[in-house]
Amino acid sequence: MRLLPKEVESLWTLFTAPTIWAAHFLACYAAVAIYCEKAGAEDFTFAELRLALVLITILALAGIVLSAWLAWRQWGFGSGDPPHHAPTREDRLLFQGFATLLLSGLSFVAVLFVAVPLVVIEACQP
Amino acid sequence: MTDRSKRKRTGLLLTSSALVLAGCTGRQSALDPAGQEAAEVYHLFAVMVIGGGIIWLAVIGLLLHACRGQRRAWSENEASRLIAWGGVAFPVVVLFALLVYAVWLMPTIRPWVARAVPEPTLIEVTGEQFWWRVRYPAEDGMAGFETANELRLPIGERVAFSLSAADVIHSFWIPSLGGKMDMIPGRTNVLSLQATKTGVYHAPCAEFCGTSHAYMTFSVVVMGQDAYDDWRRKQASGNQPGGSEGERLFAYHGCAGCHSVRGTTPIAGLGPDLTYFADRETVGAGALRNTRENVERFIRDPSSVKPGSQMPAFDMVPHGDIAAIAEFLTGLR
Amino acid sequence: MTEVAIRELSPEDFEAQERELREVWRTPSGWRYWTSVNNTQIGLWYGAAAFTFMLFAGLLALLVRVQLAVPENDFLSADVFNQAFTLHGTVMMFLFAVPIFEAVAIYLLPSMLGARELPFPRLSAFGFWSFAIGGVFVCGSIFFGAAPNTGWFMYPPLATDKEYSGIGADIWLLGLSFIEVASIAAAVELIVGIMKCRAPGMRINMMPLFAWYLLIVAGMILFAFPPLIAGDILFEMERMFDWPFFDAERGGDPLLWQHLFWIFGHPEVYIIFLPAIAIMAMIVPTFAQRPIVGYSWIVLAAVGTGFLSFGLWVHHMFTTGLPQISLAFFSAASEAVAIPTGVQIFVFIATLLAGRVIFSVPMLFGAGGLAIFVIGGLTGVMVALVPFDWQAHDTYFVVAHLHYVLIGGMLFPVVAGIYYYYPLIDARRLSDRLGKIAFWLMFTGFNVAFFPMHLSGLRGMPRRVFTYPAEIGWDWFNLVSTVGAFIFAAGVAVVVIDVVRPKHRQPKQEMNPWNAGTLEWISEPEEAWGVRSIPIIKSRYPIWDQPGLLEDIKAGRYYLPDAQDGARETLVTSVLDARPVQCLRVGGTSILTMVAACSLGGVFVALTFHWWIATLVCALLTLAAIITWLWTGTAEIPRSDMRDIGLGKTLPLYNSGPQSVGWWGMFITMAGDSTAYASLMFGYFFYWTIHDDFTAGHSGPGIAWPLLAVVLFVLAWLVMLLARRANAADHPGPMRAALMVSAFLTVGGCMAGLAGPHLNPMDPTTHVYPAIVWVVAIWTVVHGAVAIIMQLYCLARSVAGRMSARHDMDLQNVVLYWHFFVITAITSFGVLGLFPAVR
Repeated sequence: MRLLPKEVESLWTLFTAPTIWAAHFLACYAAVAIYCEKAGAEDFTFAELRLALVLITILALAGIVLSAWLAWRQWGFGSGDPPHHAPTREDRLLFQGFATLLLSGLSFVAVLFVAVPLVVIEACQP
Repeated sequence: MTDRSKRKRTGLLLTSSALVLAGCTGRQSALDPAGQEAAEVYHLFAVMVIGGGIIWLAVIGLLLHACRGQRRAWSENEASRLIAWGGVAFPVVVLFALLVYAVWLMPTIRPWVARAVPEPTLIEVTGEQFWWRVRYPAEDGMAGFETANELRLPIGERVAFSLSAADVIHSFWIPSLGGKMDMIPGRTNVLSLQATKTGVYHAPCAEFCGTSHAYMTFSVVVMGQDAYDDWRRKQASGNQPGGSEGERLFAYHGCAGCHSVRGTTPIAGLGPDLTYFADRETVGAGALRNTRENVERFIRDPSSVKPGSQMPAFDMVPHGDIAAIAEFLTGLR
Repeated sequence: MTEVAIRELSPEDFEAQERELREVWRTPSGWRYWTSVNNTQIGLWYGAAAFTFMLFAGLLALLVRVQLAVPENDFLSADVFNQAFTLHGTVMMFLFAVPIFEAVAIYLLPSMLGARELPFPRLSAFGFWSFAIGGVFVCGSIFFGAAPNTGWFMYPPLATDKEYSGIGADIWLLGLSFIEVASIAAAVELIVGIMKCRAPGMRINMMPLFAWYLLIVAGMILFAFPPLIAGDILFEMERMFDWPFFDAERGGDPLLWQHLFWIFGHPEVYIIFLPAIAIMAMIVPTFAQRPIVGYSWIVLAAVGTGFLSFGLWVHHMFTTGLPQISLAFFSAASEAVAIPTGVQIFVFIATLLAGRVIFSVPMLFGAGGLAIFVIGGLTGVMVALVPFDWQAHDTYFVVAHLHYVLIGGMLFPVVAGIYYYYPLIDARRLSDRLGKIAFWLMFTGFNVAFFPMHLSGLRGMPRRVFTYPAEIGWDWFNLVSTVGAFIFAAGVAVVVIDVVRPKHRQPKQEMNPWNAGTLEWISEPEEAWGVRSIPIIKSRYPIWDQPGLLEDIKAGRYYLPDAQDGARETLVTSVLDARPVQCLRVGGTSILTMVAACSLGGVFVALTFHWWIATLVCALLTLAAIITWLWTGTAEIPRSDMRDIGLGKTLPLYNSGPQSVGWWGMFITMAGDSTAYASLMFGYFFYWTIHDDFTAGHSGPGIAWPLLAVVLFVLAWLVMLLARRANAADHPGPMRAALMVSAFLTVGGCMAGLAGPHLNPMDPTTHVYPAIVWVVAIWTVVHGAVAIIMQLYCLARSVAGRMSARHDMDLQNVVLYWHFFVITAITSFGVLGLFPAVR
């Protein structure tokens, strides 16, 4: 078994990218919520916190790109077009690859959306 | 028949945008902004209504076209491309732009109070079932004072409010000036607003707070700086005792146990402060217009005009006494 | 057909098979009809009950509209008005929108997947009865003037004010907790059904889109409802015993409820919306007469929405004064969720464009719903932007928005579904003429009623006001809205008339009047067995693409054409490729489900009125009913191990561990249970976040007792693993001994867990810190008590000879429960003992 098998016999790979989005979202929300409630108790500034979260964002995006690449590979690098509806294992795998790729795309965009406030908003103001 | 619906919908949209553009006259309207925040949000809204209207027409036009019997059937490839461009690419770009605009707008219209208002002098507003307690702080050598169900603000200056609640959650909202901010027991929220037009505006409680939620409003008078300073000075010094019968009965029947009329009675903090009561627009935080008859009606049985009101009924007090008290209150100007 | 040669049956054998099947699946008659657990009956009852509740809530809305028609109206008193709008929202959301999807799913899914039944039919019946009892209880309250009156969102401290809310808030909390239990039961049923009970060959790339949607929705229920249950527990503890979770004066915070409520409340909107769109995803291909374009895009949209919908909850709290940056995160996610929603709309349009559209009543409702929904979606994008929401929040603009979304996105598609699927129930179509009349009344009425609300809202009209002054300028908007509401109601009435009018004179029609392609159209309304034989699926639209499918199914040429041992049977297949792995025997007609639901209902009703003894009696009764149900109806050892299912295939009748549906049921239930637990722990850390000193000087449970509890529970878990090993090695003696030892250790763990807060004395009414410590400890100990019951149950099963080395489903499931429980126990007592003290 290779480290990253080319064909994954599981439904769960479908959820990798959205799970990364969820983790990233939760990290941003929790970090900011705790920082702003405990303002002053920490020995780092809000700007530093935002920078750290931007780094986490880049990590999350990298993770999603990786998941997208794996999905793309499973989809045969786009060699076969949808609908992938034949009653064969091959088509089922292609379908999984394609759907995972689409979800990676959506998750990528969603992470970018969530990162906008990190860039624009500079203080804990209510 | 589907065409008819389209025409009807278009009609509705046109009417509504006409209404929007005409600028609805209303003293409690977000569509008729008189403050910086309200104006910015109105602008955002106008952008979205126009954009949204175009998108709606395009999508529904396409849907109606798709439902027509006589037309060329698209190939699967064309249809897939429509999903990719119309369903994904276009929304992603538009939504991203809109999001950046709105997120940028947030600190612009609600700047950090600590920075925007140097040495903030917060006007304290407390939501109580079902009225508004307002405390102006001491400032520029003028004493602080308490009033109720009425705010007066100077034009062109950013004013900050400290918002809290005494019993349940309320929400502070002056539609003409800007958006709302909740008042939550155990928390103090800060909001700042900047009025740009003089006038009298209305403000409701925006969070459901119990039986008489509908009768929890206040009025906001935006005035020139000089008039505002005069008003503050007048408020700070209080009413002059007049020695009227009503004034005596006000104390005799226990009204003064809960309500203050600064300058004439000892300070009592349970119910709304009634200093310069006659200057206010309504009785009972929006329950009735401020006339002598209505004041009498309210005193006799508050719950019948304002259900759930904390004030007990005074229907056992002789009719003439109530009339005298009403006379006294409506003379406080 | 398949490679295996088909042996044609003689007519006599064929008749005998049909007789057998009919006998096994017979719907009981007389009063026993109500003890049926068959999915078609349960689905219909569920749907009819949900629809009745909808009509009731609709009447309440009309009352509300009459009151608001003119300024200063006194048609309703403020108090009745508050009860009416609270109940309107509550009933529409909890008793109509969510249950109607459960109804449709239970009714349609088995036949759509080519299964005879869902895996746990008795659980469906239990869910229905719970729902019906809870619903009647909640709705009935208004006739006694005791309905909840604090808004469907129940914000404390208004809703914890006993003087104001009376018993209504308890009715809301307890009645709805009961219904939430039913929803979670349905979610477990649907997830296992969709993953494990599809017809052979129906790989995941060939599942009907309806099934994809429901799989996601059921998953969402599993993670969305438990936070509300956790919130309900905290809320009821405050109301009953004065534990100050939401009382700011004693360290509580009203905002925690808002978080928990909306963590449930926003996914809820998508839980309502997605199944309705799922119906559209079935209707659109049929009337375009071609397969859907962009199957994978729909899967993307469903899964994407499912995830993103959990990052939206704070957009209901934009005005609470949270830091702007937090608000902006949620605003971003709320904008992002519009993308998958748009994708779905474009998939439908693309499919129609690529086909030749036959326009009919279901399409009319579908297209009209879409036109309405798109407006709701666009205003949704608007209110998701924080600055605009600061103005629009809690005004009639939001009332307009949410009705555009829910009525366009849910009610219209559901009515489309009624017109589309009615032939499945009755073999007759509903009237085209009445359908069109109903559509135009509903469509016009809806827009007349709700469009003006956008304007009245922005012109300053807040929600939930029982009246308004004349001079403020809302009178025309409101009058028009009221007129529209009545036109809309007339349209709904026409639909009701069309459905209930007698149709005996109308001739029965062919089975598939719309020429649809999916499997649900093979089911025969007269027969209770679902499908005559379970087919092999080779296409997303088997009726279109597999010639002769219907005849072969009816001739019994596929799997399981007969019944054996008088048992109801269906196939279990593998998750990804739907290879048949087991012949599953499911529960049949039983009164136990009704008894269990009634007694559990009794618990909740008695709690509402603080009848403690009745509560206890009902709880014991519930326990007895459930144990009897499990003992007599589950994990039965079959007479023979294997079963010939036809076409030369033989499958086992008994599977345990991850191979069995029961194990999956337990796994999924515990995932939901863990979510509720996680919500409680969220509360614990939430209080820590908002306070400088979380404990406020109160003594904690100490370190020793909680850590002792952790040690004992971990030991008990290890001994359970030994018990499983001993059983697998066929050593019943050591296995029983291990079960007993583990039970004793669990008792010890429970006592140690409670000893901490009890001996240190922590009074939960003084401050939120002791209160939340107690709640976490009690939650864990109650789960420990359930674990003990399970251990004793396994012991009894083993002694009674109902469990063996090979037939060990009970033990496997209990060990699975223990995996979850031991994580809970370690977290609970680890955190209680170490977190505030060691810091």
